[in-house]
Amino acid sequence: MRDWFKQGEHWVWFSAATVSISFVLVIGLVLLIAVRGLVHFWPHSVYEIELKNDQGKLETLVGEIHDTQTKPIVDPQDPDMAVRKVPQWLVKVGNRDVYGTDFRWINTDNIVGQEDRLARDITVLERYEWGNVYGQLTKLTRDGEILAEGDNVKNVLEDLVSTGQTLHDKINTIERVDIGGINYRIEQLRLEEKRLRAENAFDDEARQAIEAERAELNKQFRDYQEKLAILRDQANGLGDVHLNLAGGHAIQVPIKHIVRMWQPNNMSNADKVGFFFSSIGHFLTGEPREANTEGGVFPAIVGTVTMVMLMAIFVTPMGVIAAVYMSEYAREGTLLRLVRISINNLAGVPSIVFGIFGLGFFVYIIGGSIDDLFYSYAQPSPTFGTPGLLWASLTMALLTLPVVIVSTQEGLSRIPSSLREGGLALGATKSETIMKIVLPMSMPAIMTGLILAVARAAGEVAPLMLVGVVKLAPELPVDLNAPFVHLDRKFMHLGFHIYDVGFQSPNVEASQPLVYATSLLLILIIVSLNLGAITIRNKLREKYKALDN
Amino acid sequence: MSEQNVGLAMDRDHRGMHLGQEKIAIEVKDWNLFYGSNQALNGINMSLPENRVTAFIGPSGCGKSTLLRCFNRMNDLIPIVRVEGEMTLHGEDMYAKEMDVAALRRRVGMVFQKPNPFPKSIYENVCYGLRLQGINDKQVLDETVEWSLQSAGLWEEVKDRLDANALGLSGGQQQRLCIARAIAIKPEVLLLDEPTSALDPISTLAIEELIFELKKDFTILIVTHNMQQAARVSDYTAFMYMGDLIEYTDTDTLFTNPSVKRTEDYISGRYG
Repeated sequence: MRDWFKQGEHWVWFSAATVSISFVLVIGLVLLIAVRGLVHFWPHSVYEIELKNDQGKLETLVGEIHDTQTKPIVDPQDPDMAVRKVPQWLVKVGNRDVYGTDFRWINTDNIVGQEDRLARDITVLERYEWGNVYGQLTKLTRDGEILAEGDNVKNVLEDLVSTGQTLHDKINTIERVDIGGINYRIEQLRLEEKRLRAENAFDDEARQAIEAERAELNKQFRDYQEKLAILRDQANGLGDVHLNLAGGHAIQVPIKHIVRMWQPNNMSNADKVGFFFSSIGHFLTGEPREANTEGGVFPAIVGTVTMVMLMAIFVTPMGVIAAVYMSEYAREGTLLRLVRISINNLAGVPSIVFGIFGLGFFVYIIGGSIDDLFYSYAQPSPTFGTPGLLWASLTMALLTLPVVIVSTQEGLSRIPSSLREGGLALGATKSETIMKIVLPMSMPAIMTGLILAVARAAGEVAPLMLVGVVKLAPELPVDLNAPFVHLDRKFMHLGFHIYDVGFQSPNVEASQPLVYATSLLLILIIVSLNLGAITIRNKLREKYKALDN
Repeated sequence: MSEQNVGLAMDRDHRGMHLGQEKIAIEVKDWNLFYGSNQALNGINMSLPENRVTAFIGPSGCGKSTLLRCFNRMNDLIPIVRVEGEMTLHGEDMYAKEMDVAALRRRVGMVFQKPNPFPKSIYENVCYGLRLQGINDKQVLDETVEWSLQSAGLWEEVKDRLDANALGLSGGQQQRLCIARAIAIKPEVLLLDEPTSALDPISTLAIEELIFELKKDFTILIVTHNMQQAARVSDYTAFMYMGDLIEYTDTDTLFTNPSVKRTEDYISGRYG
């Protein structure tokens, strides 16, 4: 035993244990988030639960069991005030428009009869508003006439729902892309007119040109409105579906309000897997609904990725040029040391401070000046003098600048001086040597810096709240209207989305799985952005590997 | 000496020539060099002949590499170095204020102790100096690459894989590639700073034969630790000691009949 300590074996074990703990923590974190998040997409079975309520009346609940907990309860009638531990279930009963709430906690000892009885022939309808419906299909009607009844309802409804989806997609495309584009151009025209007026250049010729274009756009707009009206009529004409709900309620749902339908208790495992992936698809490509607690996160994905890419575009040249100057040109001395220390300390500044700086400097000072100089005609409504994509990416670039500078410097210092001399000896100037030999060879290190920067920027939330992220952005920052990337727009971000859904949401139970799912997605996006960069870096490393010996 | 080496020495085509009869490429007058306050070269005076191989020998730290790096102003890179004196290349002041250092280095090429090919293809390594000068004509580049590699004795070995990464070559091949790269821009003078010290004996031999070939086209200055090498490849030899040029004459005289006692001690291995 003494020998064991003497040889330092305990240190080996100690460090191995530390590594194992870190590893287990990482795996645990990812597993927890993955399981909790992915469960959200799996079709839950729907149970029919009979229970006695406090007044002793019998009541039937139909819903998905989402959570269980054990709660200590003190029975008020008990003279000893003894504490009982009661298992509770969180049941998603849906039908928010009828019951007033989506979720209910029930005490399991109030349950009468069998605990896990699957509800028979239950149908779940996901709606654009008011959440899910859990009920039994009774009939389909259109304009008061019965379209289908009994067993036939399900098949007819499935077709109608998919027709409704197609119509919905068409309507959405026209509204977003076509009419959105027209609105964008009309707004540009309005600003153009304002600008001309401000410059006193709004003569008859300009007026006619603008009026003509506006008339043309208005005409297109009316055309699209007509198309929309036709499509909306078709959607309204799909009919209504009638369902019986637990507790003796009946409900009538317009088919155009249905996102999709499924019968979880009748699904085979293969169906469930299919449903699982289609749910993930909806989540990734859909728009958020119901104050972000339902639907997808597509705008947040677009926002996050666009912001991170722009950040990378800003931070890489800035960081690399600064690093090149510091390690290749600047003379060693107190000043350079001071600058180095400042840069290293910059990495430790809390991110919210960068947010404040971004707001004060970029948004108000720079953005305000840009507005004064170039967009004064649009005032008082600000163009760049308000939080937006550009300022958010610049703030993030500033936040991650130290990382890029430090790793680039390390990369530069690793290039053997013999190669620089080789370049110089062939008649290259110093800058040619740096551009053609030193920098290309430092690319792996620069990529490492960029990887770290991306990981940090994609995960940061606090500063973004000040400089451009919003809960719900009306438009994507990237679209088909020139100039395609709209630097002045506000955007959505996955990190902020998590915060918003998790903490600012009116429907806590409904949003909880979404928080996990969104977190998982954020991790996956960061990992895939990093993997991309790592692949590039490894390719470059491979190229220069022979140099390391 | 092996037979091969003897053969080389026998081939020397201008034995018995004297410095006075040579055309001079570089003229050095009262050359002093300081590292901060330490003087590393003390009043060097010498004339380096054109199209000849001049070797610099001497113990470690004697200043021979420092002197060699003065010929293409590589010492400019070290901020604490200060020089005094006059150095001319074909009569032109190499240290004149208006001298373009990059242009000077194109006229005085250099090959270093450790092979330092760029992490690019063999082809691009040789082209590098040309591309710097803005020469991108494919035909010119192709011809130069072939000529340089052939002159460096590497063409046969690499002609089928010019696009391969230069770092995949062996040490000796890399060094010959560096020579090809240096001569591709047709310098007037070629500086070799212990070019074979990192190589195996066979590669060393190849380079020595190459040096012998190259002196037809270039003035070659070589620093070497290996006295046999100096004796084998050079026409003139300079022995340096502690920053002083002790003796400088044709190689045969220096090795067989040195006029300074210290030179004799060094070449007979009594110190160094």
